Amino acid sequence: MLRAAYRIAWKDVVGDFRRRATLSSMLFFAVAVLLVFQAAFEPDRSQALRLVPGLLWATVLFTSLVGLGRVFQAEEENGALEGLLLAPLPHGVIYFGKWWGNLALTVLVELFLTPVTLILFNVDAWDRLPAILGVLLFGTLGLTGLGVLLAALTQAARSRETLLALLLLPLAVPLLIAGVQATAAVLTDMGSPWPWLRLIAIFDVVYLVSAPWAFAWLVEE
Amino acid sequence: MADVRVEKLRYRYGRHPVLKGIDLTVSDGECRVLFGANGSGKSTLLSILATRRRPRHGSYLLDGAVVIDDPELARSRLLYLGHDSHLYTHLTPLENLRFFSDLRRLRPSDAQLLEVVEKAGLARFAHRPVRSFSAGMKKRLALSRTLLVQPRLLLLDEPDSALDQQGIDWLNTLLIDYLNQGGTVIMASHSPERVAALPYTGHRMENGILAQAVQSELLPC
Repeated sequence: MLRAAYRIAWKDVVGDFRRRATLSSMLFFAVAVLLVFQAAFEPDRSQALRLVPGLLWATVLFTSLVGLGRVFQAEEENGALEGLLLAPLPHGVIYFGKWWGNLALTVLVELFLTPVTLILFNVDAWDRLPAILGVLLFGTLGLTGLGVLLAALTQAARSRETLLALLLLPLAVPLLIAGVQATAAVLTDMGSPWPWLRLIAIFDVVYLVSAPWAFAWLVEE
Repeated sequence: MADVRVEKLRYRYGRHPVLKGIDLTVSDGECRVLFGANGSGKSTLLSILATRRRPRHGSYLLDGAVVIDDPELARSRLLYLGHDSHLYTHLTPLENLRFFSDLRRLRPSDAQLLEVVEKAGLARFAHRPVRSFSAGMKKRLALSRTLLVQPRLLLLDEPDSALDQQGIDWLNTLLIDYLNQGGTVIMASHSPERVAALPYTGHRMENGILAQAVQSELLPC
């Protein structure tokens, strides 16, 4: 079953690289957001240290919405989602495959986005880059896990991108606040990131344990 | 190879009843064809037999096992092809078959996959993305999965649609070989002429009711 989930994720990532659709859209969007913020604020160093955590997470959130809006795009053609649901697999395995694929693309964006943010905002925190990426990844697990479930819920709706954002944003707020605080603690050494990381862990566990069941219930007819 | 027993099966879409007490028993090696007008319930019945929908009332046993108790086991024994081909357009035929095999925990070699593509008459297009295929080519590729899986039960919803006469002859040969190996087929068709080459027993479906079986030679052409 792990192999099946991996193959579903592989199919999505390969498909995206061939179509050059989702990943490139996410990257362009991320860069555009950063440039707009950089031009709008032009912060000095101390301001940048306060801004960067929130800015990073806001960019990750909006960029991930671009990716999540397309997570079931390949399945829309030729009834491919039905083909997946007819495979002799628990439907939760399909959820994990879609989640891993979206997670892989989002993490690729973050690997690009984070150093670019430090450069654009002139933040000298290269020694903390692994820790910042670690916090981002930890929070992205839950963000994409929740996002894939909501993408499944909204895929048949007419204004699905709008509906997805309306549903995801309020549900992701606690995770985002914890992510911003943990990132700020890592970046500035003011306070400990661990209480916030524990909060992120709780959300990750809640979302990732409940989402496969909810997905299986959603796709039953 | 597969024993299918359906008793008093009912299904409705909202308040609209579509299947009104279907009784059907199909033994190993039989071919049953459902004829009927659009909206008569053929596709709904096939999708229930494929575990895509749960019946509202009644029982469905496959090889003596109650299907709703273990739909994954049932899906491992059957193959369903509806109106959609369930193919991924960004993948080549070989990649689609490989992906399909992985979902079913099969490990065919590349040579075996190529052989299946050759038998489908698509060898020249084996490395081309499916998005460039016509509807008939996609249907052939989708049907060729039967050669890969050798399911105990084959469920087909108008498999001859989109096929030219050469394709229909190919399909009939495929199904006759499958039946000769002990496979069981339940399919829907609009036209007795198109399935005339098959040794089938026909049923007429009207308004969600399945009429008595009629041997193929007694159905008017």
